[in-house]
Amino acid sequence: MAEQEELVNLTIDGQPVSVPKGSLIWAAAQKLGIEIPIYCYHPKMDPLGACRMCFVEVEKMPKLATACTTTVAEGMVVSTTSAKVKKGRAGTLEFLLINHPLDCPICDKGGECDLQDFTLRYGPGGSRFDLNKRHFEKPIPVSENILLDRERCIACQRCVRFTQTVAMENGLVMEQRGFRIEVGVDPAAPFDSIFSGNVVEMCPVGALTAKNYRFVTRPWELKKTPSVCGNCSVGCNVRVDVRVDKVLRQYSRTNDAIDDGWLCDRGRWDLDWINDTERLRTPLIRRDGQLQPVSWDEALRFVAERLRAVRDQRGARAIGGIGSTHTTNEEAYLFQKLLRAGLGTNNVDHAHGRFPATEPGALPWAWSDSIAGLEQASHIVLLGADPYHRQPIVDLRIRKAIRAGARVYVVTPEANRLDRLVAGVIRYTAGHTGTLARALLNIITSDGLARGEQGAQRAADRRASVAQETPERAAQVAGVDADALRELAREIAGAKGAVILYDEAATLEPSGATLAADVLDLALITGNFGKPGAGAGPLLADNNSLGARDMGLLPDTLPGYRPVGDAAAHAALGGAWLATLPAEPGLSYTEMLSGGVKALYVMGANPARDATPEQLAALDALDFLVVQDLTLTETAQRATVVLPAVAYTEKDGSFTNTERCVQLVRRAMQPLGGAKADWEILVGVARALGLGWTYLSPAEILSEIGRTVPLYAGVTRRSLGAEGVRWPFAPGERTPEGRATITGSPSITWQMLAEGVARAQKPGGELIAPRGRGE
Amino acid sequence: MITEEVKARMREICARYPDPRSGTLPCLHLAQEAEGYVTPDGIAAVSEVTGTKIDEVESVVTFYSMYDRAPTGKYAIKVCTSISCYLRGCDGLMEHFEQRLGIQRGQTTADGSFTLQGVECLAACGMAPVLQVNGEFVENVTTADADALIERLKRGEAVAAQPGAWNVLPSKTGASAQQTAAGSGSAQTGKAK
Amino acid sequence: MADSVDTITTENKTLPLGPYPRFVTRNMDVPGIDRIEVYREHGGYAALAKALQSFQPEQLVEEVKQSGLRGRGGAGFATGMKWSFLPPTSPKPRYLIVNCDESEPGTFKDRMIMELNPHMLVEGVIIGSYATKVHHAFIYVRGELAFAGRQVERAVREAYAAGLIGKNILGSGYDLEITVSRGAGAYICGEESALMESLEGRRGYPRLKPPFPAVVGLYGGPTVINNTETISTLPAIVEHGAAVYGAYGTEKSKGTRIYCLSGHVNRPGNYELPLGTPLRTLVEDFGGGMRGGKQLKAIIPGGSSVPFLLPNQLDTPMDFESMAAAGTMLGSGGVIVLDEDTCIVGAVLRMTEFYRDESCGKCTPCREGTFWLVQLLERLEHGGGKESDIDLLNDICDNMLGKCFCPLGDAATSSIMSSIKLFRDEYIHHVRAHACLVGPGATRAHAASVTPVSAR
Ligand SMILES: Cc1cc2nc3c(=O)[nH]c(=O)nc-3n(C[C@H](O)[C@H](O)[C@H](O)COP(=O)(O)O)c2cc1C
Ligand code: SF4
Ligand code: FES
Repeated sequence: MAEQEELVNLTIDGQPVSVPKGSLIWAAAQKLGIEIPIYCYHPKMDPLGACRMCFVEVEKMPKLATACTTTVAEGMVVSTTSAKVKKGRAGTLEFLLINHPLDCPICDKGGECDLQDFTLRYGPGGSRFDLNKRHFEKPIPVSENILLDRERCIACQRCVRFTQTVAMENGLVMEQRGFRIEVGVDPAAPFDSIFSGNVVEMCPVGALTAKNYRFVTRPWELKKTPSVCGNCSVGCNVRVDVRVDKVLRQYSRTNDAIDDGWLCDRGRWDLDWINDTERLRTPLIRRDGQLQPVSWDEALRFVAERLRAVRDQRGARAIGGIGSTHTTNEEAYLFQKLLRAGLGTNNVDHAHGRFPATEPGALPWAWSDSIAGLEQASHIVLLGADPYHRQPIVDLRIRKAIRAGARVYVVTPEANRLDRLVAGVIRYTAGHTGTLARALLNIITSDGLARGEQGAQRAADRRASVAQETPERAAQVAGVDADALRELAREIAGAKGAVILYDEAATLEPSGATLAADVLDLALITGNFGKPGAGAGPLLADNNSLGARDMGLLPDTLPGYRPVGDAAAHAALGGAWLATLPAEPGLSYTEMLSGGVKALYVMGANPARDATPEQLAALDALDFLVVQDLTLTETAQRATVVLPAVAYTEKDGSFTNTERCVQLVRRAMQPLGGAKADWEILVGVARALGLGWTYLSPAEILSEIGRTVPLYAGVTRRSLGAEGVRWPFAPGERTPEGRATITGSPSITWQMLAEGVARAQKPGGELIAPRGRGE
Repeated sequence: MITEEVKARMREICARYPDPRSGTLPCLHLAQEAEGYVTPDGIAAVSEVTGTKIDEVESVVTFYSMYDRAPTGKYAIKVCTSISCYLRGCDGLMEHFEQRLGIQRGQTTADGSFTLQGVECLAACGMAPVLQVNGEFVENVTTADADALIERLKRGEAVAAQPGAWNVLPSKTGASAQQTAAGSGSAQTGKAK
Repeated sequence: MADSVDTITTENKTLPLGPYPRFVTRNMDVPGIDRIEVYREHGGYAALAKALQSFQPEQLVEEVKQSGLRGRGGAGFATGMKWSFLPPTSPKPRYLIVNCDESEPGTFKDRMIMELNPHMLVEGVIIGSYATKVHHAFIYVRGELAFAGRQVERAVREAYAAGLIGKNILGSGYDLEITVSRGAGAYICGEESALMESLEGRRGYPRLKPPFPAVVGLYGGPTVINNTETISTLPAIVEHGAAVYGAYGTEKSKGTRIYCLSGHVNRPGNYELPLGTPLRTLVEDFGGGMRGGKQLKAIIPGGSSVPFLLPNQLDTPMDFESMAAAGTMLGSGGVIVLDEDTCIVGAVLRMTEFYRDESCGKCTPCREGTFWLVQLLERLEHGGGKESDIDLLNDICDNMLGKCFCPLGDAATSSIMSSIKLFRDEYIHHVRAHACLVGPGATRAHAASVTPVSAR
């Protein structure tokens, strides 16, 4: 892989350019900033060569060449502007327009339509076609969310190639042939894919439109902001398109390492919660049993008073905080800082909080590899995971891996959307994911399937702990096929590179207490670790599930996973925070919801929604409940104080995705009047408590994180760039202006693990590159 | 209905190829034979035996002109309308059929006996004008032949499956071409061994 | 021997002789030759035995190169040369495909071979497969040719039963499977890469080239694809030797080929003649001259995809080079003769409709261009056209020519561009007189009868 790429030299319009061997002329021109118009070609799909728009003239070739299908050759001389090229392109456009309805004024694509744009730049001024155009019934629905206007279709086949070859789902197909050709769906195979929206974005004309966007706006009225999707833990890069005070859609902003240029329908369209008219616009305080509007000043003062009162009367341990897996890193950090340094308690957690680790610092729950690495895997095992529904764009990457030849095993209690495409499917009784993982460990440790010295060592360490967990026992308790497990264990042990992924929800099952560590050991023992295309890790639930943990929304660890009792960490952090920190572990999420605290601060979480009757009773029995959220959630309805917060589209900050990539979110619109960003609210509460916090922006908070949290050492808003950086970080080269930069790690290595990723860096901003990097 | 027996034949066909998907076209022919036209059931069966998604089979069906998506008459009369038949009067023949059957091309008679269609060159240009009845050739068709054909079909007689009325022989008579190397031909054969 | 042309028997061999030897069409008229017993009685499968016993595969490729055999599917590419493009080794199996998708208007020779002498085709397949070291061959028969398909299927069955296909053929150690497959109505599937798509069970879209089929073909394996007639010539070449076969024809276009004669002649039919035989010989001597004593108006010498020739070009020899020099192509060998009463615009319209209906629709210029051309030709033919339409036709053709994904688009332009060049007056007459110059349309203005596209 790492061999030097062979370069080919050519000239385009007189400008020399060197590109890797095998590149297309289109890509070479792209590098020079020369536009070659395309319709059928899409950089993420195989060339088709159908639209005949991308003509160029290549010296010594008698015919015009299509830039999207012609690979570069040494010494090639290409013209994109010759008379022949111009005539060819104009001819193609004239052809495309003879049957096009030219209904641009009422077309949603108007203003961002490649047919309009290229006609302006390369087209004939008029048409010589004065006969009957082909006619079709106006838009027909092709799915619940998408309509098709066949008259506008230019038959580029992008959409059908996407559904059939990229998404590998039922969906759009070409029907008929010749001038009767059209895009269609077979009623027997409905287009209900979670990836469907991509076709609307890819359609170069207005043939495919989204139901919820039709006739809503003109593209030039949109404010477009590059950001990161706030839905699931994948962290797809998006462009947030806002008109005045409404988010109308998210478009993909290609980041090859994460989303590969795609977006799922949830990320694209599930934005109603941001535009919700029920959103809170003012703080509320419960008076006479009713939540009543108050000013921010009053609300903040009230919160501070009541918190202080509880602390003074019952001690800091009577206060707890439940943080969010949706808010930014900066906000999670401030939240736990408020509780730890400001109120003196380690009662901080979030839903799904604890992942038991066998060794502190070993980070068993960190995905040791990356999403992009899946493409290099020879085997992918999904243990109790359903990425199609929970982390869709990871599922899409798995499909890409399947096309590249990966053997995928779906080990889940329920039918999975990937079943049809994979090498093996194993079913078991829900709740037993952990049992299966231990049975796999049992097979691997007792059948001598360990690889490498370290693997053998680790196998020896673990053998006794799983000696009872035979596949036969798993068959009995989990209803799984023991032989299928044996075969799977063999596949994993013989893999060139296997990635084993589980859903974090499985760690909450009764059998899942040690799942994270067990899966990690499975990878370590079988030698599937420390290189791209191998590894283990969880598929987390929310956009900042990992960031919440990284930032210390856990009762037993400080930011960066240093144990709450770690004296060195206390010295460093306490110094920075000018506070004495509590040393004993705090109460967990469930403990806090079982009457462990008297005052509860809930930020961006809704524990009441999934609570048991006992937990609801405990919530109602609290002395004081403050809830920070967008709407009056089930929890907020029980609150003493409700503080209106804003969505990720209304604030700056950073999220950390499920594969450790820290990325920037940008404010795409004005915050809703009367509401404030969570970090601002926290600063307000802190100030009301007399803590003297002075943060003016998330950037400032992030810089503090970069100084105080070794795992995030060196992070600044600038250093994250447009596409984010994966921790553990190492110092990068200085910029020409002398600014410090950081580089990330695509995968976690044995070495990093042995040293403890979290401890591999010294606090205080100085970065120590973990040893063993670059092995 | 696609019976298990038809499906078994489909599977047998698919097994002749390195990839069962290759059986798609032949299996669709079978489905059409079994049900008169390609029905959703037929597509589902082909999808199953070839291991191809239903929507992809549907897409294939619509590409090829021989698959009917609706029932046709008992006899499908397909008249070639391409150039060589055009030169030898296929348009007149077609009009004659239209009049005799009382339908336009593309239509089926009310009693469901005849469907009349124009089709592309049938590789019988030397015997133009030609037509096919349910896939079997009738060549050098005059309007009188057409009338006789309709009568025969009405009586329930099928058109026989048989080779075309080929005219193959290079007639030696009158051939004025130069003498070619007959002698050298035989001499050279010896060397070729 | 039932051969009805001159033959000479030397030692134990019968050799074709005379000016019009019959290599491919020999025995075509023997009753029952489609049965393996009769075929064998007439020396059938002897060439196969000879090939397996006396030739290494490489030697066979060399022999075919020597014979000068060029593809009969249309492009006339040298067959032996095509075979030698196969990579010597490859991780995927290699395949041979016989293109029996004959659909070019004016061409009807492959159907005849399949119907009358399918064993000759099968024998050719085995020889060709052996030469190219292929162990699985496919015969892709045009869907409409049901009887021909059944003939080939039966021949293959009989050959399997006789041990001529399958394992260890004739004790040579050579194994071959043959699968007969059927198309379903699509001219484009005659194009080799579209045929492979179709054979893989997909829509018949042509594939991007390169890679060429010889490198990446059927199922991604190296693939040889040849026309029915090309393959059917192999037994004769093996039997008589490359030198005998190559002694006919011209320097660069060797051997014989079947010319399919149709249109306004007295005796249309399939005539096997040496390449280089003048058109006149075919039309006058074999075709018996013009039907009804009419004057010749134009000839399409290579199927509907090639430009017209005029009566004064009747002495053009029918070989690849001479035809190219005359501004047209030998193509698939379909010689279509038009007499003086033929309306050129009408004939061109008819041919263009074919391309519109058969375009796969994948690429813009072909899909939209053929649609537009037909609309223009329709209105011209029916007297509703404008004079500017004539130049517009030409320019649309120019915008298609060399710009389409596959040669079908180019093919659609041949008759239009050449007819405008040769018969511009006739087009102008349609505009000015609102009627045809000749033929039934000459007597009645029929502008009103323009059929909308949707009705067809
Ligand atoms: C539109 C189109 C249609 C074609 N149709 C046929 C056909 O029906 N039969 C055929 O043998 N070749 C046909 N060809 C040529 C084939 O692509 C291919 O060149 C040929 O089968 C090779 O065989 P040969 O080398 O023996 O001639 C067609 C080509 C094009 C572009
Ligand atoms: S609908 Fe759009 S993307 Fe699909 S083929 Fe038509 S123009 Fe292309
Ligand atoms: S972009 Fe090149 S042919 Fe369509």
